[in-house]
Amino acid sequence: MIPNDKRFWFAISAVVLATWTAAASVSAGVPTEQIRSTVDRAILVLKDPRLKPAAKTKERRAQLKQILFGRFDFTEMAKRALGTNWRRRTPKEQEEFVQLFSELLERAYADIIESYSEEKIIYIGERLDGGYADVASKVLASNGAEYSLNYKAHYVNSEWRVYDVIAENISVINNFRSQFNRVIAKSSYEELVRRLREKAEFGAAKR
Amino acid sequence: MNYKTSEIIVGLFVLIGIACLGYLAIKLGKLEVLSDSGYTVYADFPTVAGLKRGDPVEIAGVKVGRVESMGLADDRARLVLRVDDGVKLQEDVIASVRARGLIGDKFVLVSPGASDKIIPPGGRIRETESPPDIPDLIGKLVGGDLTSKVEKQTP
Repeated sequence: MIPNDKRFWFAISAVVLATWTAAASVSAGVPTEQIRSTVDRAILVLKDPRLKPAAKTKERRAQLKQILFGRFDFTEMAKRALGTNWRRRTPKEQEEFVQLFSELLERAYADIIESYSEEKIIYIGERLDGGYADVASKVLASNGAEYSLNYKAHYVNSEWRVYDVIAENISVINNFRSQFNRVIAKSSYEELVRRLREKAEFGAAKR
Repeated sequence: MNYKTSEIIVGLFVLIGIACLGYLAIKLGKLEVLSDSGYTVYADFPTVAGLKRGDPVEIAGVKVGRVESMGLADDRARLVLRVDDGVKLQEDVIASVRARGLIGDKFVLVSPGASDKIIPPGGRIRETESPPDIPDLIGKLVGGDLTSKVEKQTP
């Protein structure tokens, strides 16, 4: 007897989806595995009911930061985002910029990451090219919408570290690079740093 | 056989006219007869929707080359770009296919990078960005994603 029940079909489709993603994971390479484990750990923190209350936001962010900082190469991201201007800066200025840039990323994306609610993430493939990898994934929202999310990683110190994220064909780094270049072209690097600092202070005051 | 001076002049004008037409055809058709100046690099894109051969390659709005050819490589679009001599592309430049305005002409925008390494002639631009599918994005933003197949699970 086959129960003509919605729940039954839902269970079947869940099993099919699970085996399908499991099968897909077998063929995945090292970059995908490393990114997947980082993303999975971040999702565990996001799902953790003990960290859900607003009062725990700080603790949750600290945990997320610790997980993501290991996988994302913020120095490389900052360097790439600044583009040609990077080489004109002193090591000290570069260090300061990396700091400001990672704060900017945190402010820009923390809310988006924290709005996570039961989205499924499937990894659909990777491309390797020497020390560089391109890991393609899809985010399936609960309302059925699909978003493409690609990670660009490079191999440093025997680990794959992400230096760019491309969401729906839009590169995060290229987005910042064009904004930064516009500010620098219109005024100066100092003005860019001043604005970033101002935003950081504003963000800190708001929290 | 004797030609009248006027006949020779008419002939000359016709020749000049044909030469001008040929020049115009080459210019307007963006055919490059002498295309050996500059060097080529290639770049793979998920999609290059609407880009054509001969479309410009720009850095900061300045034309520094053009799309020499396009083809398929591994289900991705591979563009061969001819870049002017003297233009150095760092290893981490990002090439993106852009349009002037929402539906204007397409071009390849190259944003300069921070790397010390320069892409050699024949080399590859690793970082690429395809044009976002605007109608698709608007659809997703508006909320109802009509293209998706999965219906929302009602508990």
